[in-house]
Amino acid sequence: MTPVISRLARTDWFGPLAVIVFATIIVSAFDPSFLSPFNIQILMLAVAVNCVIAMSQMVIIAIGQMNLAVGAIGGLAAISFAGMMQIWGLPPLLAAAAALALGIVAGLANGLLISATGISAFIITLASLSIFKGANLGITRAQPFYGVPESVKAFGNTTIAGPIPWLALPAALVIAAMWYLLYRQRIGRYILAVGGNQSAAELSGISVPSAVLWAHAMSGFLAALAGVLLVARLQLGEPTIGDDWLILSFAAPVIGGAVLSGGHVSVFGTLFGVVIVAIITQALVIFRIDPFFVQVVLGLLILWAVGVNRLREVRMQRTLKRA
Amino acid sequence: MNAPTSVEGAAMAESEPPARDDGLSQKGAPGWTRFLLTNEFGLVTLIVIFGAVFALGTPGFSSPFNLFTLGRTMAIDIMIGFSMMVVIVTGGLNLSVGAIGVCVAIGCGWLLEVAGAPLALAIFAALALGAALGALNGVLIVRSGLHSFIITLATMSVFFGLMLFLTHANAYRQVPLEFSAFGKMRFAGYLSPLLLVSIAIGLLLAGLYRFTPLGREMLAAGAKAAAAELSGVRVGRTIVICHALSGVLAGIAAVMVVARTGAAIPQMAGNLGQDWLLPAFLGPVLGGTLLAGGRASVLGTFLGAALVSELTNGLLQFRIGEFWVQTWLGLLLLLAVLMDLARRSFLARRGV
Repeated sequence: MTPVISRLARTDWFGPLAVIVFATIIVSAFDPSFLSPFNIQILMLAVAVNCVIAMSQMVIIAIGQMNLAVGAIGGLAAISFAGMMQIWGLPPLLAAAAALALGIVAGLANGLLISATGISAFIITLASLSIFKGANLGITRAQPFYGVPESVKAFGNTTIAGPIPWLALPAALVIAAMWYLLYRQRIGRYILAVGGNQSAAELSGISVPSAVLWAHAMSGFLAALAGVLLVARLQLGEPTIGDDWLILSFAAPVIGGAVLSGGHVSVFGTLFGVVIVAIITQALVIFRIDPFFVQVVLGLLILWAVGVNRLREVRMQRTLKRA
Repeated sequence: MNAPTSVEGAAMAESEPPARDDGLSQKGAPGWTRFLLTNEFGLVTLIVIFGAVFALGTPGFSSPFNLFTLGRTMAIDIMIGFSMMVVIVTGGLNLSVGAIGVCVAIGCGWLLEVAGAPLALAIFAALALGAALGALNGVLIVRSGLHSFIITLATMSVFFGLMLFLTHANAYRQVPLEFSAFGKMRFAGYLSPLLLVSIAIGLLLAGLYRFTPLGREMLAAGAKAAAAELSGVRVGRTIVICHALSGVLAGIAAVMVVARTGAAIPQMAGNLGQDWLLPAFLGPVLGGTLLAGGRASVLGTFLGAALVSELTNGLLQFRIGEFWVQTWLGLLLLLAVLMDLARRSFLARRGV
């Protein structure tokens, strides 16, 4: 191996990117329409929403916790967004701002409970998942809100230029903001430090509770944003929004090289993880494989990715020992 | 932040579980305080209080038919709680209980309807499938050295997806009459035999942990894996057995659901079997099973699950917002862990 390749192979994003290129070549060889503008637009629509979902989980993985409630927060924000427009007649921007604020509050509640009580994030977010989902069903009585204004529908279903949908714009902003916050801002370093080694972070003067609160507030905001974007895309406020986010939200960061015990995540790796999932979902459709098979593939992808990450970890430790 | 019940702290970081101070419940505090502060006593009190409130508040609650349906639901919730408890004991968890349950139910339905297997054989083979899926979880966890959270999250998706792929999401409704009759059977007008099955299995589990070397090895492996390994416990094998047991118990819960509804339906536990997660954790956590592993409370899990079924049933009887039930259960879980925290710090102050 030349030094360049071996250096690239050590990054988080190189492996997933290679998989994307390889998969694109194979799938488009079987079906050239895979690279048609229309299909690329469909892919980008899926990637736009899913990468916001994945980022919402990624920031919690970064701090070494997990958030089972991303889907429930997203779903609650989605139906609140649609409900506020339909019932109170709020203008879309105001309703979206309120829904995002709701997401932040929900995330803060999680973070506050976790850092104040010291109870595991798993149990706290399992409880809050159930609380938010129950509130969702209580408000909607399991019926969708249909009164979504035309402007919102247009935002979710039209393109800026060529195959690029409008939904890609917020997603791109989120990716840029996450990269900037995690790698260029103090709060990002704090979050990663707490995830890497909590007591060391505490000893070096980082306030662990405030880092936890920040991470959960960001996670809540992103989950709510994904919910709002889905309302625009689906053109209705469905109470089932968020029910199927859990697996994907862990799959993409893990494919992108995130360490589940915290301290190490990759924004671009996560984005590529989302793209891989989208390509595979499309390929199953193209090859006329039962769509139910997507679940199996997602699960296997997680297993494969955690296996590869583990191997890389072992190999890196061995290189360190030799050096 | 060094909570004894921290899942991440215990094993997510793939480090040794933090030293726990659960020895404090054995010494110090006077006997009666200790007894009044046990989870089991608290749960019995709550069950009695809520039972009285519901019975006085709505005539429907104490009707023989409602007691019968309540007992049936309780039996299933208790089994779901047990299936999570037996892996929490090892310091891990099993997110795929619901997915395994649905696979067992569908497998049982397929054997009965398509393969025409006799009832006993179909149930036995379906439970064996549950054991195999659970054991697969265990092997993957032990071999990879990864935390059970991510492994069972992945297998939850794989198991459920494969089941849908193979059955095309079809339900099996041709269940033999004697099987659904068992689900409808009532002793003395209100007691479901399913509840007796759950009680019997609870006694077996209690016996396992108290009297058998295997049960004690499970607890030792969960309390401190490295120490257990040094004292001759084959920790890996023990963890695989715990996960296989979890699969069987989830399977029993699923077979009970089939007996109750008279059909095996892929959607019976929601998408990916996620709907079982809350009852699965509510029972053991209310019952005082430490999430970090090393301690199991079979009676507590039983009572915790019973309380949850009672509350759900009572709230539905009261007709106060049927759709909000999930919110109340979430708040209950939150309240339970907070009370556990308060109890622990009280004991620590009184005792040590």
